[in-house]
Amino acid sequence: MTADQYLLEIKNLSITYHAVHPPVKAVDGVSLQLRKGESLGIIGESGCGKSTLALGIMGLIKQGIVEGEIIYRGQNLVGLPEKRLRNYRWKDMAMVFQNSLEVLNPVLSIGEQIGEPLRAHYNLSPMEIDQKVVKLLEMAGLEPEWRHYYPHQLSGGMRQRVLLAMALSCDPELLIVDEPTTSLDPAGKNEILQLLQKLQKKLGFAMILISHDLGAVKKLTSRVMTLYCGRVVELGITSEVLKNPMHCYTRGLLNSSPNFFKYKDLWGIGGEPPLGDSVEGCAFYPRCCQGEESCRKTRPPLRYVALERMVACHKGGIETFLRAEGIRKKYILKDREIEAVKGVSLEIKSGEVVALVGESGSGKSTLAHILAGVLPADAGQVFFKNKKVEGRWATKMLGGMQIIFQDPFSATSHRMKVLEVVREPLDIIKWGSKEEREEEAIKALQKVQLPVSPEFLNRYCCALSGGQRQRLAIARALVTKPKLLIADEVTSMLDPSTQANLLRELKGLQNRHGFAMLYITHDLHLARKIADKVYVMYRGEIVETGVSFEIFENPEHVYTKRLLREAFRDLV
Amino acid sequence: MLVKIVERVKEFSLPGKAGLVVILVVLLVAILAPCISIHPHNISSGPPLVPPGGGHPLGTDELGVDLWAQICYGARVSLLVGFGTALLAALGGGLMGIVSGYLGGWPDKVLMRLIDIMIILPDLPVMIVLAAFFGPSLLNIILVLALFSWVFPARIVRSQILMLKERSYIKAAETYGAGVWYLMWKHFLPEVFPLVAVNMIRLSGRAIVAEAGLSFLGLGDPTSKSWGLIIHHATNFKGIYYTDFWKWWLLYPWLALIIMVISLAFISRELERMVDPRLGR
Repeated sequence: MTADQYLLEIKNLSITYHAVHPPVKAVDGVSLQLRKGESLGIIGESGCGKSTLALGIMGLIKQGIVEGEIIYRGQNLVGLPEKRLRNYRWKDMAMVFQNSLEVLNPVLSIGEQIGEPLRAHYNLSPMEIDQKVVKLLEMAGLEPEWRHYYPHQLSGGMRQRVLLAMALSCDPELLIVDEPTTSLDPAGKNEILQLLQKLQKKLGFAMILISHDLGAVKKLTSRVMTLYCGRVVELGITSEVLKNPMHCYTRGLLNSSPNFFKYKDLWGIGGEPPLGDSVEGCAFYPRCCQGEESCRKTRPPLRYVALERMVACHKGGIETFLRAEGIRKKYILKDREIEAVKGVSLEIKSGEVVALVGESGSGKSTLAHILAGVLPADAGQVFFKNKKVEGRWATKMLGGMQIIFQDPFSATSHRMKVLEVVREPLDIIKWGSKEEREEEAIKALQKVQLPVSPEFLNRYCCALSGGQRQRLAIARALVTKPKLLIADEVTSMLDPSTQANLLRELKGLQNRHGFAMLYITHDLHLARKIADKVYVMYRGEIVETGVSFEIFENPEHVYTKRLLREAFRDLV
Repeated sequence: MLVKIVERVKEFSLPGKAGLVVILVVLLVAILAPCISIHPHNISSGPPLVPPGGGHPLGTDELGVDLWAQICYGARVSLLVGFGTALLAALGGGLMGIVSGYLGGWPDKVLMRLIDIMIILPDLPVMIVLAAFFGPSLLNIILVLALFSWVFPARIVRSQILMLKERSYIKAAETYGAGVWYLMWKHFLPEVFPLVAVNMIRLSGRAIVAEAGLSFLGLGDPTSKSWGLIIHHATNFKGIYYTDFWKWWLLYPWLALIIMVISLAFISRELERMVDPRLGR
């Protein structure tokens, strides 16, 4: 690929602010390529270096050291003297700044400000400049009269359009837009976004869109890049990244956006980003839910992990916990055969809650038993953490896979006491001393909100209610701290409050520790609330699967449509 | 533990309590046989065929051996044979039942057919043949009786295990890697034990009667003073029916047998009633 193919190519750019002590490395080894007319979105938390990157590309960093190469049309802009840089600014690269009241000069009228770059770059008469300003204002959707007014006399939305008009005044090839939609009302937001879309189609400039608003990124960009601590952690096609993020950080950002997951609770990413001194190893390690000690040693390189997707992670992105391929199971009765599961393939990643829904008799419990290794499959294989599940190795380890069965009455022995039941897994795998096991058991009981007084712990299981026994079964499954939980209708006997508390606890585990769950349920309201991905099962086959917001908003398969219609009919 | 047993026993009905008392008395008599019988049980200690009274509380038999002493020592035999057989049958049968129920597949099928055959075989005639074949000795009797009795606990245990195997908590324990020994010790045996205990009492009743029957036919151990043997000697005495001797010689061993078997039956009924409604316990 020759350098002429790319409009803008950035190689290993690092920008360090030395005015503060210790120096803050705002941008750390960022590389990207942008073609003519392409649009790239940059997302990330506040303070991750997005604006610095934009300013760096424009050459506006005054108090920092810029290292690396910014190649625009084959010319490296780093280190160029200010006079030459000024030739590029506004004519080739323009920026729509973030804070519109500060950026506009309060003592100059709008017309004068928009005309400023025109005066600087072109030799035009005042009349021609005025005409151009009128045309620009019309293009930006403002009445031409406004050019006589001052910035403080315009609303926020109008000021944003003025900035846009200013940026487009010299017909740039590259437009960098920094947070165009903050502090705008929805109508204003939509208008700005539509305007940008229209202008990009009409004028054909390349665009770099920096935004918190993932909806804007989804609408306007074809590729998206995630920045964390000044480093690129994910890069790929926008629609794919937003549907299937492969880095824990991107996924955390998506989970925090209410406009994607309309029904799920908001969960931010725990912890804070590091202060800005260069971190050894992976910068995201302290907040990552699948981090290991080895992640701290070296910085993960940005690598291709799928077609058109690059991720900077030692584990190659979010790891897959469970993968099932071609599972088949047939029950043979006296005079007939029942195919309970016909060729099902399934994937559950770390930190994902997958809902498996379907009518009674569709084979969900059979599939769950096969995945946990309780029932042998006729055909197909199950892999847990990329190792084949054979025998019980996956369920008898700490931090492995656990299954909770559907019927709570047979899930706990009525001859055993409460404490013995919860302690049983640790007894069988012979973990720790007796006191440690009891301590873990008590902690697990507290998580499911069962009392831990000695007289309750010594009660026999036959003296507990259905809901208590179900919670007991859940506590027993949680005592081995599993990473993947297969929950077969585990909240069917619980009252709403207990169910809510329990699921909140599990979601907390998911958010902080990368806990994943396969949640089999009939209750679609609940599934809509907690699930990240949905598998719809009908008569032993998976008929539809996808991200939960897509399935619940736009189901495609006939059966899914019917199921959702039945479930959400009353909206109670 | 003892408190629990005492509590349960208090709930027995009158026949049950009576049965328990009788069995305890028999046990005491058997243990303290040398102390409570004045006369020796295998040497003649008086004139033959003396009616009860005087130095001989229950009279003497044709050889002049004191009947009371014989009955006391005979209690030992009955208890030994009865409970020994029951224990052996329960242990062996229980184990076979657990293995067959848990493993399933070919071992299960083979065992089931074996059990079917054993049930069909008429036990008394075969026992007679085997007893005659192996020779008269108490151990042989116990073994032969156990050989015919293990099938009943085995079937009961197997059916329980088949039911338990499918319970979710067993499956859950298996997912944690529980081995067969753990499951047997922690889960199966406590569930199965009440049923096996009831069966054991019933088996012991049957074993006592069978042993008495074998001894009555003369196939028992001639040195042991089994009650059946006493009756055997009594009925072999020519003229037992024309004289009064049967009033003590035949009556008392027969009474002892009946009392023993009935009390065992009462106890087993009580146990069954106790175990049944609390089958979930």
